[in-house]
Amino acid sequence: MKNVVIAGYARSPFTPVHKGALAGVRPDDLAAQVVKALVHKSGINPDDIEDLILGCAFPEGEQGLNLARLVVHLAQLPVSIAGATVNRFCGSSMQAIHMAAGAIQMNAGDAFICAGVESMSRVPMGGFNMLPHPELYRNYPQAYIGMGETAENLALKYHISRTEQESFSLDSQRKAYTAQQRGLLSDEIIPIATPSGERIDRDGCLRPESTAEAMAELKPAFLANGSVTAATSSPLTDGAAAVLVCSEAYADAHGLAKLARIKSIAVSACLPEIMGIGPVAATQKALRRAGLSLTDIDIVELNEAFAAQSLAVLKELPIAPEKLNLDGGAIALGHPLGATGARITGKAASLLKRENKQFALATQCIGGGQGIATILEAVS
Amino acid sequence: MNIEKVAVIGAGVMGASIAAHFANAGIPVDLLDVVPKQSVNRNAIAEGAIAKLLKAEPQAFMHPNNARLLTPGNIEDDLGKLTQADWVIEAVVENPAIKQALYQQLAAVCRPDTLVSSNTSTLPLSLLTRNQPDSFKRRFLITHFFNPPRYMRLLELVAQPEFDAGLLNTITTFADIKLGKGCVLCNDTPGFIANRIGTFWIQSALLEAIAMNLTVEQCDAAMSLFGIPKTGVFGLLDLVGLDLMPHILASFKQTLPPDDHLSAIAVVPPLLHNMITGGYTGRKGQGGFYRLQSGAGHTVKEAMDLQSGEYRPGEKFQIKDVSHQPDDLRTFLTGSDALNRYTWRVLSGTLHYTAGLIPEIAADIVAVDTAMRLGYNWRYGPFELLDHLGVDWFVEQLTREQRSVPGLLATRHDLYRVDKAELQFRDKSDRYHPLQRQEGVLLLSDVKRRGPPLLENASASLWDIGDGIVCLEFHSKMNTLDPDNLGLIQQSIETVKQGYKGLVIYNEGEHFSTGVNLTLLVPAIIQQDRETIKSIVRLGQQTYRALKYAPFPVVGAPSGLALGGGCEILLHCDAIQAHAELYTGLVEVGVGLVPGWGGCKELLRRWQAFPKRPGGPMPFIAKTFEIIGLAKVSQSAQEARELLFLSKNDDITMNKNRLLADAKARALALVADYQPPEPAVYALPGASAQAALEIAARNLFLAGKASAYDLEISRQLAQVLSGGGTDITRLLTEQDILDLELEAILTLVQQPGTLARLEHTLKTGKPLRN
Repeated sequence: MKNVVIAGYARSPFTPVHKGALAGVRPDDLAAQVVKALVHKSGINPDDIEDLILGCAFPEGEQGLNLARLVVHLAQLPVSIAGATVNRFCGSSMQAIHMAAGAIQMNAGDAFICAGVESMSRVPMGGFNMLPHPELYRNYPQAYIGMGETAENLALKYHISRTEQESFSLDSQRKAYTAQQRGLLSDEIIPIATPSGERIDRDGCLRPESTAEAMAELKPAFLANGSVTAATSSPLTDGAAAVLVCSEAYADAHGLAKLARIKSIAVSACLPEIMGIGPVAATQKALRRAGLSLTDIDIVELNEAFAAQSLAVLKELPIAPEKLNLDGGAIALGHPLGATGARITGKAASLLKRENKQFALATQCIGGGQGIATILEAVS
Repeated sequence: MNIEKVAVIGAGVMGASIAAHFANAGIPVDLLDVVPKQSVNRNAIAEGAIAKLLKAEPQAFMHPNNARLLTPGNIEDDLGKLTQADWVIEAVVENPAIKQALYQQLAAVCRPDTLVSSNTSTLPLSLLTRNQPDSFKRRFLITHFFNPPRYMRLLELVAQPEFDAGLLNTITTFADIKLGKGCVLCNDTPGFIANRIGTFWIQSALLEAIAMNLTVEQCDAAMSLFGIPKTGVFGLLDLVGLDLMPHILASFKQTLPPDDHLSAIAVVPPLLHNMITGGYTGRKGQGGFYRLQSGAGHTVKEAMDLQSGEYRPGEKFQIKDVSHQPDDLRTFLTGSDALNRYTWRVLSGTLHYTAGLIPEIAADIVAVDTAMRLGYNWRYGPFELLDHLGVDWFVEQLTREQRSVPGLLATRHDLYRVDKAELQFRDKSDRYHPLQRQEGVLLLSDVKRRGPPLLENASASLWDIGDGIVCLEFHSKMNTLDPDNLGLIQQSIETVKQGYKGLVIYNEGEHFSTGVNLTLLVPAIIQQDRETIKSIVRLGQQTYRALKYAPFPVVGAPSGLALGGGCEILLHCDAIQAHAELYTGLVEVGVGLVPGWGGCKELLRRWQAFPKRPGGPMPFIAKTFEIIGLAKVSQSAQEARELLFLSKNDDITMNKNRLLADAKARALALVADYQPPEPAVYALPGASAQAALEIAARNLFLAGKASAYDLEISRQLAQVLSGGGTDITRLLTEQDILDLELEAILTLVQQPGTLARLEHTLKTGKPLRN
C-alpha cells in the first residue's frame, strides 16, 4: 500500500464570533485564502491536486451548496481540481484527511487538499433551518442533545469537579498564551484579508487574563446547577484550516516537505448523551490498527470541546500532561467546528517534527456521539 | 438655519445624556471634555462617558446603535471641530469663571451663526454673558434640560432681549419636533421656573415631615393623591441624589432676596446632612430615604425613620377612599389628622408661593404649569391644581388661616376657563387669553371641548378630529381592552364607512393600552367555561380582523405601554405613527397564555415577509418564537422597529403633543386609492419546526433561564407558530393560524399554571414564574 503523508499545514487565525476580527469574512473567502496560501507555501504544483475535500459542520447559507468546489474557484486553483464538502460535525476536516488517505491508497489520486471551515458568526451552530425529525425527537431525544448538556453528563459520570475543569482550562490558556508569545503559532497562521482592508494575523480567542478566581465567579452555561461554564467550554469561533495530504512517493518525487506519515485512522460511535467520550474508542481502534499502545504516543492533540469532556477522556486514556496539547487547545484557541480536525492533525504533524518525536495522536469528539482519531508517525 | 451637527462640551452625566438624546434624534454630536491628567488617551473622559451611557438605567439611548453618532474628543485638540457645529451646548461645572473662559474660546472658533447655549441650572444668564460682546449675546442663551434628558420633556429657555429672534424660533422648533421637548421661556431668575417651585415643594415637604413626625411612606402617598408621581418627595430625592440639595439650597440662599419664602426655608436639616456625610445619597449611594436590602433569597425595602435617622422595614401605606375628585381632595386637605395637616401645609405653601411668582419667573401661568408637568411629571401644574381644588375654596382656606392672598388669586376667579370651546388662561389683571397651541399640535383634550363624541361607551369613544378622520380613544382603566372597546371598534368601522375617510387609534393616557382586561378571563377560567373563553378570543380575533380589512386606512398612534392585546391591535393597523417612547410587546406568556387576538398571526407574517431574515422555513418562526416566548418589550419605538412591531413604513414622532396630528396626516396620506391589504399565506413546517423550538426551549429550561411552566407555554406557542399538524408543502391561511391561537389558549386555560399566573398578576401587577 502507498504511504500517505501530511506535506503541509496552514490555518487562519481563530477569532471569536460576532465581535472577532473575522466575523465579517465570508467562510468561503476564509477557506479560500487559507487553501491558496497552503498551496503556495507547500510548493505543490496545483495541477497535480486531485480533489479539495472540505469539512464543514453546518454547510448552509454562505457555507452551502458544494462549498469545496466553490473554494477551488475562489482560491484561483486550476479548474481541474474537484471538490467535495463533507460533514462529520466537529470531525469533518479530519474526515476529509481520512478520505484522502483512503483514496491515495486506492490509487485514486496522489495529492489532496483537506480543509475545513466554520464561520460560527455567519452560520449559527445548528444552522438556520434545523428541522428535527419529530418522531425521532419524541422517541430518542438525545439524538438532538445540546453539546453543553453532554459535557455536564460526563462531569457527573466521571465525578469531575468544576475546580478541576477550571484548572484544566487555565492550563490550556497558559499554554496557548505562552506559545503565542514565543511565536510558536505564527508559522501555521495565514494572515487573512478582511473586506474592510484589515490584515488579521493573530488568534483572538485567547484569554490570558483568566484567573481561577474570575472563572469561579461565572454562572453555569448550560445547566442551572451544572459545573460547565463559558470559561471551561471552547468558545464559538470563526476559522479555517487546511493540510496537504499526498502519497509519500509523490512528496519525495516533487521535493515536498513531509511533516508526518499517517499511520492509522479510525472513527467510532457512542451514546449521543456522552458524545465527549468519543475519542476513547476511536483512539483505541486507531492504536490497534497501528499496532501501538498509548504509551508509545509522544504527542497528543486532543480537541478540547469542553474541559469536562477532555478530563473524562483522560480518565480513560491516561495521557501524560507533557504530551498533551503542547501549544494549548480549543478552550483557549477556539473551535471552529469544521476546521478543527485539520488544525489538530496538522498541528500534531508539525509538533512531531518540531519536538523530534516518533508518534502523534490527533483525536476529537463529535456531536451525536462519535469519535475520530488519526495516528501519525515521524518521517525521516 | 438647520441644526444638523451639534457639539456638547462637558461629558458629565448631564452633558453626555444630552448628547445621547441628540443622537436619539439622529443628530451627530461631538462630545468633548478636558484632557485627563495622567492618561495617554486624551479622549478618555468622553469615551468613558459614552461607555457609561450604553449601560445607563433608564436607558439613555433609544437604540444602542445611536451611540455611533457620538464622537468623543477633547477641548484641547478638537475645538476646531466646532466650526462644523450648528449648536454648541456647554455643560461644564457650575463655575462662572470656567464657563466664561470657555465662551471666550467658543467666540473665537465657532461660526458667527452658531448657536451657543449653557445647560446651567443655577447661574443667571446675566452673569454668564457678563463682558461678552453683543454679537455673542445675540446667539447665546440658556437651554436647561432636565435629567434624564431622554425622558424629561421640559426644556427651559432663558434668552436676553437681544437674542436673535430667528435663532430662537429655530431652536424651539428643533427642540419641539426633533427632541420632543416642550419649550418654556423663563425669565432670568434663580432656578428659573421648575426648580424654583420644585425646590420649594421638596424642601417644605422634607422639613414639615420631620417636624410633624410623619413617615416617608405617608408623605409620599399623600402627595400622589394630587397628581404627583408615586415617587413623591422622598423617592424623588433618592432619584436625583440627596447630595445635590445642599448645593441647590446654598445657591438659592445666595441669589434670592432674604424675604423670599424659599430663601427663608433653604436650610439643610441635620438628618439630611448626616445622611449625605454617611454616604446615604440616594439610589447612587448606599441608599436614601428608601433602600433595597438583599435578604435571604429576596429583597427587602427599607425606609429611613426621619426622627432616629435609622432604617426600618418599609411599610405599605395606602390612603383609602380618597379619589382624585375635587371634593375628596378638599375634604382630605381640611382633615384634622397629622397627615391631612401636613399635606395642606406643604401644598398650600407651594401653591401660595407659586401664585406670588407671576410675572417674576414667567410671563404667564401656562409657562409655570407646563414647566411643572413636563419637568416634574406632575399631572396638574400648580395653577391647574388650584383650579381643580377651586380657587375660591383655596382663598377661603387662606383667609380662614389669616394668611395673605396672592394678588393673582384675589378675584377668586378660575385661572383657566373654556369659552366657546376655546381654552383660555387668566392673567394678573383678570383678563383671559386664548391658549395657543403650536402649529402641528392637535390634542384630543382640545377636540373634546368642541362637542360630544360620535360614539361612546364606558371604555372607549370615537371623536371627529376633522378632515374626514376620526379618532378612536380608549379610556378604560389603564386602557385595558374589554368587550366595550371591541364593540366600539366594530361600531366605529360602520361609522367610518358611512361618512369618514380614515381612523386613528390614539389616546392621551399615560399608556396606549396594557392589553386585555384580565378580570374578564379569570372567572371563566375558574369555572372552566370554555364557551365564554372561546367567545372572548373569537371576538378579539374578528374585531381586529375587521379593522385590518376595513375599506379605509387605520393608523395606530401609540405612546407608552402597548402590551398584549394593545400590541395586537397595532399589528392589525395599516400604519403606525408611534411616539418615540413606545414600550410594546406580546407579553401574554407572562400570564400563562399565548397571543390570541391575531398577535402570533401578524408577527409571524411580518417576520416571514422581512427581506433581511435568513432564508429557509425556520428563521422567521424562530425569531417570532423568541420575541413572543421571551415576552420581549421594546424599550423605545426605535427598538420596536427592530422587533418588527413597527414596519419600515411606520413613522416615529418625538413630541407626544404632535402624535395625533402626525397620525391624522398619515391617515389622510393613505386615503387616496386605499386598498385593504391582501391576506397573508403561511408556509410552515409543522411538527419538525415544533420539535426544533421545543429543543431550544428545553435548553433554556436546563440552563435555568425558563421555568417548568414556561416550557409548557412555549410548547403551545411552538404549536401555533409551526402551523400545528401542517406540512411544509401546504399553504395555511390567516384563519388557520387564528384557529391554532384559539386551540393553544383553550389548552392552556385548562392548566393550573395559567390560572396561577393570571391570579398572581391581577393581585400584584407582576408576572409569576411558576
